[in-house]
This record gives sequence, structure tokens and C-alpha cells, in this order.
Amino acid sequence: MMEKMLRKIFGHSTFRPGQRETIASLMSGEHTISMLPTGTGKSLCYQLPGYMLNGSVIIVSPLLSLMQDQVEQLMMLGEKKVIAFNSFLSYEEKNRALHQLHDYKFIFISPEMLKVDLVIKNLKRLDIALFVIDEAHCISQWGYDFRPDYLKLGEVRESLGNPLTLALTATATHKVKIDIIESLSISHPNEFIYSVDRPNIALKVDRVEHHKDKVDKLIEYLRVVKGPGIVYFSSKKMAEQMAALLKKEGLGEVMAYHGGIDQENRKLIQQQFLYGQLDIICATSAFGMGINKNNIRFVVHFHMPMQLESYLQEIGRAGRDGERSLAILLYANGDEQLPIQLAEGELLHENQIDWMIKWLEANPEAWNKLNDYETEMITLAGLTETNWRILKDFHQVAVDSGKDMYSLHELKDVMLKQMDVKRHKIKIVYDWIHFQSCRRKKILQYFDEEQKIRVDNCCDPCGLSIEDFMRNPTMVKNRNEETDWQRLLAEILINK
Amino acid sequence: MSLSYTEIVILHCLQRIEGQRTVYSVFHLLNGKKTSQTIQDAHLFHLSAFFHLFPSLTRKEFTDYIKRMENEQLIIQKEDLHFVVPKRDHWKAVDANILPKYVDGWRYHRYSRMLWERISLLVQVISHLNKQNQKYLPIQTKKELHVWLKKYLVQSKMSREDLAQGIYNELYTCLSHDDDINPVIFVIRLTGFNKIGLTASQAAEKLKMENDVYHIHFLNILHCILQKADESPEKFPLLNRLMTDVDKLTSLLTISASRTYRLIQKGFALDEISISRNLKRGTIEDHIVEIALNISDFKIDQYVSQLKQQLIVEASKKLTSKQLKHIRQSVPEADYFEIRLVLAKNGIR
Repeated sequence: MMEKMLRKIFGHSTFRPGQRETIASLMSGEHTISMLPTGTGKSLCYQLPGYMLNGSVIIVSPLLSLMQDQVEQLMMLGEKKVIAFNSFLSYEEKNRALHQLHDYKFIFISPEMLKVDLVIKNLKRLDIALFVIDEAHCISQWGYDFRPDYLKLGEVRESLGNPLTLALTATATHKVKIDIIESLSISHPNEFIYSVDRPNIALKVDRVEHHKDKVDKLIEYLRVVKGPGIVYFSSKKMAEQMAALLKKEGLGEVMAYHGGIDQENRKLIQQQFLYGQLDIICATSAFGMGINKNNIRFVVHFHMPMQLESYLQEIGRAGRDGERSLAILLYANGDEQLPIQLAEGELLHENQIDWMIKWLEANPEAWNKLNDYETEMITLAGLTETNWRILKDFHQVAVDSGKDMYSLHELKDVMLKQMDVKRHKIKIVYDWIHFQSCRRKKILQYFDEEQKIRVDNCCDPCGLSIEDFMRNPTMVKNRNEETDWQRLLAEILINK
Repeated sequence: MSLSYTEIVILHCLQRIEGQRTVYSVFHLLNGKKTSQTIQDAHLFHLSAFFHLFPSLTRKEFTDYIKRMENEQLIIQKEDLHFVVPKRDHWKAVDANILPKYVDGWRYHRYSRMLWERISLLVQVISHLNKQNQKYLPIQTKKELHVWLKKYLVQSKMSREDLAQGIYNELYTCLSHDDDINPVIFVIRLTGFNKIGLTASQAAEKLKMENDVYHIHFLNILHCILQKADESPEKFPLLNRLMTDVDKLTSLLTISASRTYRLIQKGFALDEISISRNLKRGTIEDHIVEIALNISDFKIDQYVSQLKQQLIVEASKKLTSKQLKHIRQSVPEADYFEIRLVLAKNGIR
């Protein structure tokens, strides 16, 4: 039965590890936590039951871009009864959708939207077949991507009548898993934990002295390794500059991809990569969420990642077809300063908080309606978007429990603690980079796992022969480069 | 010094306005700023084809161009922010036809983007229909475009093969045998089955063109399609139908001016419109000037007596300057609104 549906709707003949178990568990009415590594088809775990159960599937998803990708995936399968409920919708669209919620099978929703009473009221009217929390590690303070909004999901779930629940994540340590179960207050869920290990991805770290050496090293690798691949950078500017450089070096079709590129071009670049028209994408972390490309052969990190968890997510985009793939991290002395700076930038500084308290003393009426002063606060205190989100979350809790503006002093402690967590995470990456024996084992240890399989071409300390990842130099890439416009137009429109 | 295409365009515009406006009037023109001053200047100096040619040009980029050209003494500051282009023989090239044939910014600026969004989506969808493939991601994501497309497909009442062939034939006829068009500029941007179109910058790079030159030639093709489809609906029924739901006449006007126009057509007087729309008299006057500029059979007699019209036309012919105050000095009985309106109506520069 399940296989039949799988073939009919998704065109696959077999399940990937963990999918069948998760779906069977849900079909027998059990709450389920599934930890499946990136790139193994997590979304199928709610898509398929969605078609087998009566009622709607609500999917809580933390990232707008991710949500959009998932909606598009479903649309590509021909599903029309799908909607993404987030801040992208206009007021009218939101209103219309709210009144027609029962018309949708799959309802994606951001945690912010779940704070709106009217939304909850309308969701309550639905017959909910399945309540899904995607990226469930965001619930936990210990997760690398903690979202305070996620803490309220337990409450939301209760007000919706405790529907059948699926929590999905790719990377969760034991502590995180306990947090998920507790805050959702789901009792005795079935747990399906699959190894974060992706044995077909070889791990390599190159430590060099200077930034410039990294550039040389990168070019050296890209000349020989088999593509297509992604190179991740920490800034848009670097992604752009390096894309231009790599193009100049004749390394094939290269494009930059980041949040600063407009919607239409982003779409084109994504699709060009998917259809094999590009060899290399120079990306920021904005790229890759929900990209369903199976044959990515390498992922390079030009900058040091901020946590091992996000690193695994990003390298997990390689080798989804199960073929041998390569993950390279380039490290130059002192590189750890950048993630520390980025982490500091995400948090509110003590001075900023002091300044805000002073400002609120002068404008006490603002405390109870902080939202109205968004632009003012952001520009005057020099807040980033993340800063503002943190402030808003803290403020909400403070106001709800009747606290005044001086409670902001508590936020300083919160920030210090969060900075400690972030520093700790960066330190773990740093140690991993400088580790002298098996990198795979070290990662698995971090996720409280035992290594089960031995891998050849495991990682640089274990021994790895780069030749196995090289492209065949006699194979010249033959792209269909039609430049005659008539033939090109005919090819697109009328040729069969 | 070698000039970029954008600089040549700026130089050309400055030459036309002869220092009678500030340089920023050129910036607003190229940006497509919809104020009555910009719109009127566009017509007055015969620059309406340049309207909205570079909507993403920033003020900073523009100022940098101006500074560079000033340093090279290609332009000279006459008074504060008013620049003139000294006449020199080798700049005659600047005065020649610097725009490709079909580019007409003022007439088409409102449709270019929409045409591209629609045609690129239509081609992609037809390509997949024709190859019987349903699993793909639409390159255009706006919901209203999808709604429009569905309607378009239903209304065409054609089989997928006929539709594909029809669009192919029309695009082929429209773009071929035309020396002012290089169709590959357009075609490599299209997305179809297993073939994703290039971005503008990729296309420019591939065709070894500067980005601004590529942009203008791409625009030229969009404007060409708009013009030909509009002129010969019998020859291009499918292309024509891409834009038929868009109101052509009033869309020559800004939205606010077209509202005013509708009230005028119903017989309301200037002051009545001002009261009923709760807008200042001056704003309605701007609208009327805009209407006179764009609607050729619009009569202005109810706003300016025929005698005054005659005086103003004569005065403007005698004076070399187009500055309103000079005309006003020689026809003191006319006010500024009347002068602007008469100049607009008669296309006097």
C-alpha cells in the first residue's frame, strides 16, 4: 500500500532509510520523532501520510526560503492544495487564505504566524490529520538555531487538541531530543534516529597560513575535482568576488548566489544549477535549503562554519545519489575570528541595551507598544534584523509577565549566556579542524553516536586519495551551446 | 576617454536640454520618475523615448558619471547644477540615433516588464505542455501571472501543438528579417523544457556586450514586439492577446491623471475635479498638462482662450529659451498653467 502510493505520487520505487519506519509509525497513530540526516528525504515523511490520511497537514517551518522551496516541491508533484502562511502574503491574501483554510491539504506556517489569535482560531476549525514540526531542533536552547517562537509550539499543539505529531530534524544531540519531547509534551513518541553519518561524503580539511593561500588552494582543487559543486562563503561580497575570479580562471560556468539577488535571477540560477548548466555556485548559506539536486559532487567551505550542526547540513547537500562526494573545509590561521564576530553581531551588545533603557526612560510610552517604534529603535540603536527579533521575543515575555523596561537588564545576562553557547560551538569546530585523527568519529561522538561502518576515503587523517574525486581529464564537458536563434527558439517551442 | 553607453545617453540628453534644467532632470528622466515636471520635460525636449530607460541607475552612479564627464571637460557647469555640452565636431556621433529603432520609453515603459514576465512564463509553460512534461518550476512566481496564464490558455482554445507552433511562428515573423533586431539577445533568456534561460548579466557576458548596451537592446526587442503586435493584430494574434487586457489609452497617463481625465470627459470643470478628488488645483493642472501631452485629440480651449494660445505660440517661437519665465514676460496676461498647457499641446520645445 505504502509502496504503491510512493510510486504513484512520487515516482520512486523504494523508501530511503527511515522513511518507511516513520510513515508506518504515523499511520498507526503514534507521535513520532525522526532524526534523518540531511539529504535523505525528510519531507516525504509527512507528504505521503498526508495523502493517506483524511484531514489537513500543518507544517511548522522556521525559514521562509525553506518553506517556499517545500511548497514548490509539492507543486511540482502536481499538488495544488498547498499554501505557505507567512509574512510574504499580503494582508488580503492572508485574509482570503484564512477563510479558505479547509481547502488546503498542506498548510505551511511560520512560528510567528502561530502567535496570531485569529490564525489559531481558524486552525482550530480544521480537521487536523497531522501536525509537523520541521527543523525541530530549533525548539531547544541547545540546538544551534534556537528560535524562541518554537518554545510556544507545545501550547499551540494543545490548543489544537493535541493532534498526531511528527517532529523532524537532521541533527540533534541527545539533549536537544529531550528538549523537543518535553516542550511539545508528547508522551512516549516513537523515535527513529538515523546516523548523521553520510559514508559517501569524504571529509577533508586544509589548514594554510594566509587568506591568499586559501584562494590558491581553492583554485587548485577546482581545477581537478569532479563537479558540480558548491563553495560556501560567509558574505555576499566574497561570494560575488570569488565567482568573478573563478570565472576568470576558466573554471567553467560559475555563478554567485545570495540573498541580495532578485527573485527572478535567483530562480534562474537555482534551476540552471539543477539542470546542469552551471558547474560551480559561489553561495552564502541562503543557497541550498531544499535544493533537490542529487549529483552534487563537492561542497567547499571557504570560511569557517559557526557550528558543526550547520556544517553537516551544508555538506549534506553533496552526494544525495549515494555516489562518492567530497567535503572540503579551508582554514587559514585566525579564521575563527570571523565566526566570533558574526556571532557577536547577531546578539545585542551591552551598550545597545543600556542605550535602549535610557531611550525608554525618555519615551516610557514606547515600552508597551514596542512594535510601533521598530524603525526608530533599529536605526537609533543600530540593530540588525536578528537583534530586533531577539529584542521582540524578550519583550513579549517581559510584557506578558508584567515586567517594566528595567527587565532589559536581564537581557544582558541572556545575551552573555548565548554568546557563551556560540563561542562553545565555534570552539568545537575549531577543535575539529585541528583534530589529528578520524574526523568522522569525532563528529559522531559529538552526536552521541557510535561509528558502525568503516569507510574508505573517510577523511584526511584516516587517509584519503584525492584522485578518487577527480574528473576524467579526457572528458571534455560538452554543453549544447546553440547560438543560432531560430534553432534555439524551435528547440524550446516546437521540437519534440 | 572612452564613454560608456550610459554616458553617451546622458550626454545626449544634456545636449538636448541645453542647460535649461539641472542634470538631475536627466537622472529623473532615465529613472522614469513620474512627476509632471519630468514628464513634461521629456516631451518638451523631445526626450520621451528616453523615459525610464535605466530604472535601476542609482543617484550615486549618475553623479559619478557626471563628475567623470566634467573632469574630462565633456560637459561644463554653466550655473549651479546646470551643465552644457560644448559643441565639438567629433561629438556629432552623440547626436545621431543613439537609441535602437523600437525603443520608446514613454510609450512602453509600463508594459515592458509585464510583457517579459508574461511571455517568458508562457513560453516555458507551452514548452513543457508540448513535451508533455508537468514536473517543473515556473520561472515567474507571481500569483497574478499564473492566474493570467490560465485564462490566456483557456481563451486561446488551441491544442498544445498548435499553440506552440503559433507562438513560434509569430515570434519568428516578428523578430526575423529586421536589421534593427538581434533576436538571440531575447531568445537566450527564454526558459523551456530542460533548458533554463540566462540571466541578463550572463546573456551580456555571453554575447560580449556591456550590461547597459545589452539592456537597451533587450528592451528594443520587447518594444518591437509591443509595437508590431499592437499595429498588426491580424498578423500577431497570440502576441497581441498578451497585452489586450491592459488599458492602453489611459495607461499612457499616470493613474491619478487618468482619473482626472475620466472626470474631464464627463464634463467636470477644473475646480470641481479639484474639490471632488480632494486634490490641490495645481495638481489637477499638472494632470491636464500631462493629458495634453499624451492624448492628441484633447482640446484645451476651455482652459486657455484661442487668442492667448496664439500669443503664447508666437512668443515661444521668437524666444530661443524654453524657460517659462521668459515667455511669461512677453505674454504677461497668461499664467504659467496656460503657458505650460499651450506648449504641451503644440509640442513646442
